[in-house]
Amino acid sequence: MLGALMASCGDGRSSAERAAEEGILLLGNNQEPLSLDPHKATSVADGKIITSLLEGLVRPDAQDETKVHAGMAERWERNEDASVWTFYLRDAVWSDGRPVTSRDFAYAWQRLLHPEFAGKYAEMLYGLKNAEQYNRGECAWEAVGVQTPDERTLRVELKGPMPHLLQVMLHFTWCPVPAHAVEAHGGMLDRRSAWTRRENWVGNGAYVLDGHRFNDYLSVVANTRYWRAAEVKNRGIRFLPIVNGYTETRMFLDGKLHISNNVPPELLAVMKKRVPEEYCQDPYYCTIFYRLNTTRAPLNDVRVRRALSLAVDRESLVQKVVRGAGRAAYSFTPPGAGYTPPEQPEAQSTRESREAEAKRLLAEAGYADGKGFPTLELMTTSRDVQRVMAETVQAMWKNVLGVHVEIRSCEWTAYKAAQQNMDYDISSSSWSGDYLDPATFVELWSGGGGNNCTGWSHAECDAALDAAQAAATAEARREHLRRAEQVMMEGRPVIPLYWSERTYLKSPMVSGWYPLILDNHPLDAVEVRNGEKR
Amino acid sequence: MSKLLIKRLLQGVLVVFVLQTITFFLVRLLPGNPFLGERKLPEHVMAQLNNLYGLDQSAWVQYWNYWKGILFHGDFGPSLVREGVQVSDIIAQSFPVSLWLGVLGMSVAVLVGIPAGMLAAWWRNRAPDAFIMMFAMAGICIPAFVVAPVFGLTLGMHVPGLSVAGWDDPLCAVLPALTLGLINAAYIARLTRGGMAEVLSSDFIRTARAKGVGAGRLLFVHALRSGLLPAVSYLGPAFAALITGSFVVETCFQVPGMGLHFVNATTDRDYFLIQGLVFCYGVLIVLANLVVDLVLVALNPQLRSQGAA
Repeated sequence: MLGALMASCGDGRSSAERAAEEGILLLGNNQEPLSLDPHKATSVADGKIITSLLEGLVRPDAQDETKVHAGMAERWERNEDASVWTFYLRDAVWSDGRPVTSRDFAYAWQRLLHPEFAGKYAEMLYGLKNAEQYNRGECAWEAVGVQTPDERTLRVELKGPMPHLLQVMLHFTWCPVPAHAVEAHGGMLDRRSAWTRRENWVGNGAYVLDGHRFNDYLSVVANTRYWRAAEVKNRGIRFLPIVNGYTETRMFLDGKLHISNNVPPELLAVMKKRVPEEYCQDPYYCTIFYRLNTTRAPLNDVRVRRALSLAVDRESLVQKVVRGAGRAAYSFTPPGAGYTPPEQPEAQSTRESREAEAKRLLAEAGYADGKGFPTLELMTTSRDVQRVMAETVQAMWKNVLGVHVEIRSCEWTAYKAAQQNMDYDISSSSWSGDYLDPATFVELWSGGGGNNCTGWSHAECDAALDAAQAAATAEARREHLRRAEQVMMEGRPVIPLYWSERTYLKSPMVSGWYPLILDNHPLDAVEVRNGEKR
Repeated sequence: MSKLLIKRLLQGVLVVFVLQTITFFLVRLLPGNPFLGERKLPEHVMAQLNNLYGLDQSAWVQYWNYWKGILFHGDFGPSLVREGVQVSDIIAQSFPVSLWLGVLGMSVAVLVGIPAGMLAAWWRNRAPDAFIMMFAMAGICIPAFVVAPVFGLTLGMHVPGLSVAGWDDPLCAVLPALTLGLINAAYIARLTRGGMAEVLSSDFIRTARAKGVGAGRLLFVHALRSGLLPAVSYLGPAFAALITGSFVVETCFQVPGMGLHFVNATTDRDYFLIQGLVFCYGVLIVLANLVVDLVLVALNPQLRSQGAA
């Protein structure tokens, strides 16, 4: 221990400098991963680690998220309406030297969908023909649209056209798992399987698992058997699960991190001034909004919902609450991936005219100047930023409409339970996209959607969503989705507040890291070098 | 003495049993369940998960199975949130960290708190007393979530070798130990001062002083033994609390100890992990109190005769 102690304080270099010289990237990863098994993982933090350990048929681009590159699939072809795809696998091996075959993919997808496995993210694969039915135990696996004519060919049949399939496939749920390793440690259906432990780990990604201690670190090192091993820019990554943004920022400033995950709003101004070179603010595929429980009076009246929405001054929320880390949102889906959300008239009007319209609508609904309006409850989680936001909106509604809402701050699981059981009036919510496509936002509002949680549905919206699923071209799809979103915005079961932006710190030692709206960085492209010692 | 020991041990077993039982039923009364994600799970998936972990059985069957697992297999069950990880793995990884930090913190607390309390008592109601008690009061009033970041920003950023947060070298323990230690030192100083002040004004001390006993002997031989009793009673539970981790200090210094698990397991409804941690904490509290009882008996002969009776 004494040796380590001397070594640690002897040379005066920071951890980040020492790690950079060894080619190790120190990355803030927000929270302790829940699982490294792509079929049990659900969090963003899990996804970042898994996509560096496992590679799917395609892999993302480091700079342009609309592009995908060949991953395990060397090439692919599709039929005219993009409903049947054939992937031809390259000659790649797992980290134990066994070949990666099409059966590993079929095995992985069957495992996630298996009715007895209870995969939480099985819905990500519902685009496959009969996948939902299989997941519900209503048909046999053979009926699902996945075939493996030989070890290197994978034929995928979808339930409808999916011109955006490759984008969807970048998600970690589509990664293969080593069937032989999973079978050796409990088998396909064992949720308590130990195959993801370090000593048992087998992967096909740019890295292999190296070490892990709960709430401390998870480290990966370059996989020498990876098919692009020569192109991997660093020798390893240390993911640090730092929940507290203040602690993380202090650690970055003290040279313990190369890239942090999040700078809290209160520190933004200081960081912009103190470390302008390191400070980054990138658009993020995430909407912050309020859900309205449309099954309860008076929120069952669309005029009331519109009035509440119009009375919120989004620009001031963005400036004062999140200190500029966002863009005011007047529609739901963040722009991106070639999609522009339908423009709402209030986006162009002045604050005064919006407020006048809000008052008029509320009076029309029978609550002139808020008279007779019942006290509603605005539910938030216990996160500071959400509470401050709720207090700000509470004041706006009071001032503009004369309406009083009470704030109910819940701890995380109680909040999720209340929202999913629709035991709320107004709920502070957020939604981030799983893949770069507007469907990941708009499909939320289908009548039967489990994440709708507002009680709102509209036949026209559902029809447009169905039409989008049947559309063979990307342009036609986007048009249908835009129509669905317009119908939803007219029904206004939600109050979009802002599209969030990611604020974090990045050391000048890092190169190859570009702003990405999904924050889905291929970490093998990120290089870290200590400039002074070079 | 052995009678006392056996009596206390039996009481301890009962305490842990009752604690586990209450926790078992209380955590199941909390809204939500361990499988609730940010996104709503389809009902058939939720049902299958409940079935896999036996959560669809009646509470009494679950309760019986839980004890069966512990008593017959030494198994505290799986984590329901980090599936594939056993509760015992999580405790085995995080407890040594908290234990090490707790021992360091307690050493700081005792080494600072007891001498400070003794000095304050010796000069009671005079300037040094006021000075020491002012610091002690500040230590009690200023919460850890203020002390920890201030230490991080002042000492951590500027003293070479010290680190603002993290657990990647041995010196990382210094600031969290100092934070935990100084906060506890404040309590110990006040308790020691109170105990010592009372003893120092008692007749036998006055007699000893009249007989010409020196200040050192008076303090360390005659007064300390009884004067420490209140502080010693405090030390047991405080030590158990320290070595099971502090959420605030662990979050502010990114320490991979048990405190983080305590809070996260509760907010995540990780039933078995909560049970395992409460079990661990319960056993430690019982043991710490037992040790305190034994030390008190050794320090105070009056208690010895009561114990024997």
